[in-house]
Amino acid sequence: MKVSLNWIKDYVELPQDLDLKQLAYDLTMSTVEVEDTIELAKQFDNMVLGQIKEVCQHPNADKLRVCKTDIGGEIKEIVCGGVNLRDGMKVAVALPGAVCRWHGEGEPVEIKKSKLRGVESYGMICAASEIGLSDLFPTKEEAVILDLSDFDAPVGTPLADALDLNDVILEIDNKSMTNRPDLWGHYGIAREIAALYHLPMNQFPHFDRNVPNTSGFHVSVEDPERCPRLTGTQIEGVYVKPAPYQMQCRLWKAGMRPINALVDITNYVMLATGQPSHAYDSDHIDGHLIVRRPKAGETLRLLNGKELALADDDLVIADDVDIVGLAGIMGGAKDSILPTTNKVILEIANFEAKGIRRTALRYDNRTEASARYEKAIDPERCDQALDLSMQLFREIYPEMKVTGMVDHYPVPLKKAEIDVTLSWLERRLGKKLTPEDVAAKLEPLGYVLSFQGDTMHVVVPTWRSTGDVSIKADIMEEVARMYGYENFEAAPITTSFDGAINQLDKELERKIKEYLAFRCGMQEIFSYPWMDEVYVNAILQSTDGILALSTPPSPAERLVRSSLLPNLCKAVVKNERYYDEFSIFETAQVFRDENYTTPYDPREKLPSQRKHVAGAFVCGGKDVTALFRKAKGVLEMMPRYTHMEGFTFKQAEKPVWADNVVWLNVYLGEERIGDLALLSKKVSMECGVKNLNVMLFELDQDAMVPFRSRTNSFTHMPEYPMTEYDISVLLDGEVKWETIAQTIRGVKSELFHGAAFVDEYRGKQVPDGKKSVTIRLAIGSKEKTLTSAEIEEVAGGVIKKLTKRFGAELRSK
Amino acid sequence: MKEKLNALLAEGKAKIEAVRTEPELQEVKSLLLGKQGTLTELLKELPKLDVSLRPEMGKAVNQVKAQLTELLDQRRSELKMKASEVDPDFDISVPGIKPLGGGLHPITQMCYDLNDAFRSMGFEIFEEDDITSELYGFDNLNFPPNHPARESMDTYWLEGHDNGECWDKLCLRPHLTGGSVRYLQTHKAPYRFVYPGKVYRNETTDARHERAFFQYEALIVDKDFTFASGKVMIKSILSKVFGRDVPVRMRAGFFPFVEPGFEIDMGCLVCGGKGCSVCKHVGWIEVMPGGTPHPNVLKAAGLDPDEYTGFYVNIGLDRLVMMRYGVDDVRLFHSADLRFLEQFH
Repeated sequence: MKVSLNWIKDYVELPQDLDLKQLAYDLTMSTVEVEDTIELAKQFDNMVLGQIKEVCQHPNADKLRVCKTDIGGEIKEIVCGGVNLRDGMKVAVALPGAVCRWHGEGEPVEIKKSKLRGVESYGMICAASEIGLSDLFPTKEEAVILDLSDFDAPVGTPLADALDLNDVILEIDNKSMTNRPDLWGHYGIAREIAALYHLPMNQFPHFDRNVPNTSGFHVSVEDPERCPRLTGTQIEGVYVKPAPYQMQCRLWKAGMRPINALVDITNYVMLATGQPSHAYDSDHIDGHLIVRRPKAGETLRLLNGKELALADDDLVIADDVDIVGLAGIMGGAKDSILPTTNKVILEIANFEAKGIRRTALRYDNRTEASARYEKAIDPERCDQALDLSMQLFREIYPEMKVTGMVDHYPVPLKKAEIDVTLSWLERRLGKKLTPEDVAAKLEPLGYVLSFQGDTMHVVVPTWRSTGDVSIKADIMEEVARMYGYENFEAAPITTSFDGAINQLDKELERKIKEYLAFRCGMQEIFSYPWMDEVYVNAILQSTDGILALSTPPSPAERLVRSSLLPNLCKAVVKNERYYDEFSIFETAQVFRDENYTTPYDPREKLPSQRKHVAGAFVCGGKDVTALFRKAKGVLEMMPRYTHMEGFTFKQAEKPVWADNVVWLNVYLGEERIGDLALLSKKVSMECGVKNLNVMLFELDQDAMVPFRSRTNSFTHMPEYPMTEYDISVLLDGEVKWETIAQTIRGVKSELFHGAAFVDEYRGKQVPDGKKSVTIRLAIGSKEKTLTSAEIEEVAGGVIKKLTKRFGAELRSK
Repeated sequence: MKEKLNALLAEGKAKIEAVRTEPELQEVKSLLLGKQGTLTELLKELPKLDVSLRPEMGKAVNQVKAQLTELLDQRRSELKMKASEVDPDFDISVPGIKPLGGGLHPITQMCYDLNDAFRSMGFEIFEEDDITSELYGFDNLNFPPNHPARESMDTYWLEGHDNGECWDKLCLRPHLTGGSVRYLQTHKAPYRFVYPGKVYRNETTDARHERAFFQYEALIVDKDFTFASGKVMIKSILSKVFGRDVPVRMRAGFFPFVEPGFEIDMGCLVCGGKGCSVCKHVGWIEVMPGGTPHPNVLKAAGLDPDEYTGFYVNIGLDRLVMMRYGVDDVRLFHSADLRFLEQFH
């Protein structure tokens, strides 16, 4: 909302030495966020009201004129191409140094003394658009110069002064006052300023409601709950003409376009008081005004041309024959102000907030009026609006006559009343307050206070009584903000807690992330909780049990994440453009439309939500073995480095997206908690992976069991040397390492301490269908250093076992 | 002969001193004492001398030989001490081999920094599910039934769960506070916990708006806790995270679930509060809404609002991280673009 400081001054006398920065700061700290403070006059620097003394033809250009222009005691020649130039015309002159937009377009440029087609021009005679005033002075044609002949200011007056633009505009963030229905007009902001600086407020001149109803005009309200108050005033002797300049100018400063005096009065009153109103052409109203719900099949054409098929829940203003307006939102096209209007009915009414909001949203037709009603305006505000409206009608149409006036307000608003104790305030604010202290802060805001001992009885003003202020915490807030949140001393925090914080599950997640990132060199990514159809179809290959969004970000992203893999693969494809080797991971929740539980409120049922961790190892080239072993190693070592129960690997059920050979299910005890596999070529291509091999894993993190403490145990270092003895054996290609290891474990010798896989080889050096496996044996004694013969004997035992079981041949040792 | 010997000794001395490497030293040695070495040549001249001179000369030659040998040995051990395993051309300016890459998301990093700071002040960490019901998303939080945020334009409702009573309607959580109420309901007051997590809003995205973003909520509920103490707490947390004194201010603000409510601004770290484009030239950045939990929220948690009060803040982590690194587009956080993420290792 834009607030004009000059306008504010109508209602509160601001000190001469008011510091604008301070005002913006104080309002921001206590009331609403002032986003910007615009000194309007600055953009009219070096512009004056000038008068053309003589218009001469430019010697070198047909379309240009040379204007001898009085800029205040000096006559200067200015070249101009305007089509409406004439002798004696008062104009806006931009002198050298002024900043304008050429022809109202492009970047602002600084005006300089310059030659135009050989003739020196001292500045520029401006069109409205060139100095940013096209909304205030609309023209049909671009080349029309702004004619200011009607302005009385002496020639040479700075333009901002001549046009009443020497003002400051406060830009207020609307979001910061959604809870304050009283602030949506200049008067409300003025009230806050008055309270902050202890200044007196001016009232609107009272309009005497006792007018004889000569026209027999009356209203009826069929839905008093949705329309607590309706005032209708019939006014004769008016006609369509432009509003006085000052009113137009204020509307413009507040961001509205002037239209004509009748419409402008209603807008002006809304911007002043926050109370919307509407004027109907009285000749078009058949009978009287009725506030009611639409009947089945009724339609309405709004002022903006929208045709509405009305709903039963809407509230409309109608006459005896037809609907004339959508209550609180917008008038109808047929019966509002027309060029021929000479008699109006002014409707100033109060409508219930939620109904207005529903209707405005239903037709996507939110207006300045509906935005204000939605905040819950109090019905008493109609009086203020009526007072101001009638003052304006009188000023603009001195000959006007009020021929009827109705005020339907059956149930007056009840002011909120709240009891607060001063000791409670002190406890919550950490500050001792006397009744006088509190009164000094609250009374200027309209609160009426009475004290009895420790208890303070607060009567809330009408403009805060529509829900905004209703409980004692609200009163505390009012006191606190008027003191300024900055002005309370911090009390020491006294809470004490028993026991140290021990959150194993939270620590496990952090350990897993840090393990993957720092020990395994993977990069953590974030993805959205919805999945792209392409990847769902390629990887999950079924949408059974997957939840969906009602209003998805895009039609292809309606499914809610049931696995981390689709988004992970999307990230792989995205990064393939720039990297040919990388690894990424994500931890996040996945969801399924099953296993509903009731963890909290018994009425609430929540779907399956599990925290998963998933990763992708991506690499070009043919070496799948290395990629597989890298990925497998990361999972094998994860339990050790993150201190949880270990995993085992089995081939039980192949994931649909996996390669036919390179896949494993990951188990924790008997429970399958995830998979590790190579993305199959087919799925890879469907995902759009171009050349890279992708190893994926996904684990159910919620299933993992953190150790309560570390479980590593110490063993003594061997006293005598432990020998690492490598052997290479030739065996059939299909023999698995797991079987080899198991076989070797069968070797019983006190001197043998285990075998480790070194590598395997298939290729030219070994016969077809065979492979060579290199195994590292650990051999040593607790009592002595072994001789080579003793070592050979142990190794020989292992080789014998392998030969017996697999027909293995020793290749080298 | 005597002169020759003296000249030889001087020459040998100079040569040995000039030697820089062991092979060079070996060369010098054979040049002086080798089979065709200068000294050997001199020895060969000995028989040609007068017999009476021979013993004296022989002695002199041997002395020189011994002197040179000592010099050579001395030099050899000197060279040994100075020697390197590598060629003198070894290029020590080549860069090192990078250790494994990998890293945490910049938002996770910030989250862990905050966790550490809050835990040092005795806060627990709390987490909750992403999918919640309207009951916890809005009703328990004192959102009036027609609050604009309830409409589909702001919240992602789930298909088939977007109708009925508030506990039947399910959505991706639009904020964390509903989850905080779950904590309150299942724990005993007083509480002190933080609650990090992602939240989701059905919005049009641009450089400053995202559909998924990270919030960090901190909540204290206790008897008699003033918001001025809360401000001190926030200030010390931010100062710890950013490693310097961070100015903090509190001003009027409104959120349905707090009363009173305020906005907490931190001094712009980019310009030091002087005003710059990051802070829209005001010197302050709005980083978190906060307030005292609304009596209705405390009631929803089963607490007596006359007895209990508290302090609540909700930190927008995306914004804080953008501030920390000067990131100018919030959408990058969910881009999964390694060129972006690797900048925060």
